[in-house]
Amino acid sequence: MSAAARACVAAALCAAHAGSACAQPAAAPDGRLEIAVGASWVGPLSFGSRDANETTSTLGTLTLFSTSTRLGGAPSVDGRVGWRLSRALMVEGEASYGRPELQVTISNDQEAGLTASSVTASERLEQFTAGGSIVWLVRPTPRVSPFLSAGAGYLRQLHETATLVQTGRYYQVGGGILFPLTSRPRGRLKTMGVRIDARGLVRVDGVAFDGTARLAPQAGASLFIRF
Amino acid sequence: MRRVLSTACVFALLSHPAFAYLKFGVPIGGRQVTLKWAQTPVRYYVSNTSVPGVTTDDFLAAVGRAFGSWQAVPTASITYQLGGITNALPGRDDGLSTVGFLNRPDLDRVLASTSYLIDMTSGALVESDIFFNSSFPWSVAPAGEPGRFDVESIALHEIGHLNGLGHSALGETVLREGGGRLVISSEAIMFPIAFAAGSIAGRTLKADDIAGISDLYPEGDFGQNSGTVSGRVTKDGVGVFGAHVVAFDPATGAMVGGFSLNAQGQFTIGALSPGPRVLRVEPLDDADVDSFFDATQAVDLDFRVVFFDQLVVVPRGGDSGSVELKVVRK
Repeated sequence: MSAAARACVAAALCAAHAGSACAQPAAAPDGRLEIAVGASWVGPLSFGSRDANETTSTLGTLTLFSTSTRLGGAPSVDGRVGWRLSRALMVEGEASYGRPELQVTISNDQEAGLTASSVTASERLEQFTAGGSIVWLVRPTPRVSPFLSAGAGYLRQLHETATLVQTGRYYQVGGGILFPLTSRPRGRLKTMGVRIDARGLVRVDGVAFDGTARLAPQAGASLFIRF
Repeated sequence: MRRVLSTACVFALLSHPAFAYLKFGVPIGGRQVTLKWAQTPVRYYVSNTSVPGVTTDDFLAAVGRAFGSWQAVPTASITYQLGGITNALPGRDDGLSTVGFLNRPDLDRVLASTSYLIDMTSGALVESDIFFNSSFPWSVAPAGEPGRFDVESIALHEIGHLNGLGHSALGETVLREGGGRLVISSEAIMFPIAFAAGSIAGRTLKADDIAGISDLYPEGDFGQNSGTVSGRVTKDGVGVFGAHVVAFDPATGAMVGGFSLNAQGQFTIGALSPGPRVLRVEPLDDADVDSFFDATQAVDLDFRVVFFDQLVVVPRGGDSGSVELKVVRK
């Protein structure tokens, strides 16, 4: 086989495997290092209900008042650093900061006149996450690249008075779209664009009252640059 | 030493200014010292007396179960030891902590009471006797007996006093025709009024009791792993004395109560597990005020129940930082 023929076979093989992990360094011509900064919104999480019960003489219960607790939906600031292993595969480190509100709604307190209304006691948390994920670019193109991602990380929630930290973990699966806005194959900065993410976020522990995994939606947008 | 005799129903010892549920304090050398046993196990004796339906052995077993319930609190270090059966009666200054029956028909609203012998140089408990009023009908039946008061339930309450705890206000009552109050519900063994005869609902310690005993006799590093909530109750900018403050844990449903204990309306509730709490303030209107405080102290009952609109966070090994709970007149 001539040198020209070998080159053709190699090109054909690469083309056939584009989008898989077989790619070599030359398969990521638009840059390997990706940095993104953006914002997202994480939906609320319900932590369930609890009654303030007293014991009656017959070992029954009398409910003094009722409560239901949730972590309110909140925006967060996100940052990501990714490294493209191939045209189709990228590993990312990610971190976020948000300030969701922990809310306890109190109702049905006969003595406080809450039979038909409720009051809410709340506090603002400081919430940090740090984790990693794998991103699979389903059909990388120069124009629009849909992707799927999955990852896990560490959750740290600091109560408002900064006197108590509660930690947990999160897992996420989701997807999104990369929109390259500019591309400069010859410069140091290869690509700049917008990334849209939608995820299902499963959280365990933290300020949650038990170890139950709870699912919240997350949606966000970020500006990315690729070197 | 000086004997300080007081009944559990009309406890008038000074409440400790720094803490709640209540713990008792005694003035020693111009300062308040928390009333507690300096040494454990606390040795107790059971009087060789009986009443219809309750033999000495029955009584011994029921009282033993009640002591066992307090001793089983994992976060408290207090222990007890049965010294034996004695011919001594409760209420004597004989150096023995004695539990037994006495016939006191003159105390027609007192099921049982606890008395103390206190070392007035240190504030330590030296002796504590509990008498059960045999003019009432008693039972040790496992499921209770209609018309008879449950020895184990009442013993559990009185042993709380023997430990140094005062009364808790976590309960709801209605006034009876002809005087007195009927308990609808309670969530503290140390609530000052017993359930009606036949009930065995007072055999199990509640979160409030467990916090109280753990605060008095913390086991190991419990103090470093628990925290306190503190603050002031005010009305029109002025401190409220005697307000009942309840810290509710929305994670577990546990309630631990305390009181504002001075003219500035300051309160502290200790021995709480770390995490957020809902605070509820109510007037002390479900029991007679003198079940909690000296009759000379003016307890303010003229305000509405209110919830604090912020969650208060109990830190690990520290205090929440002072919060101000503002109440309004009825």
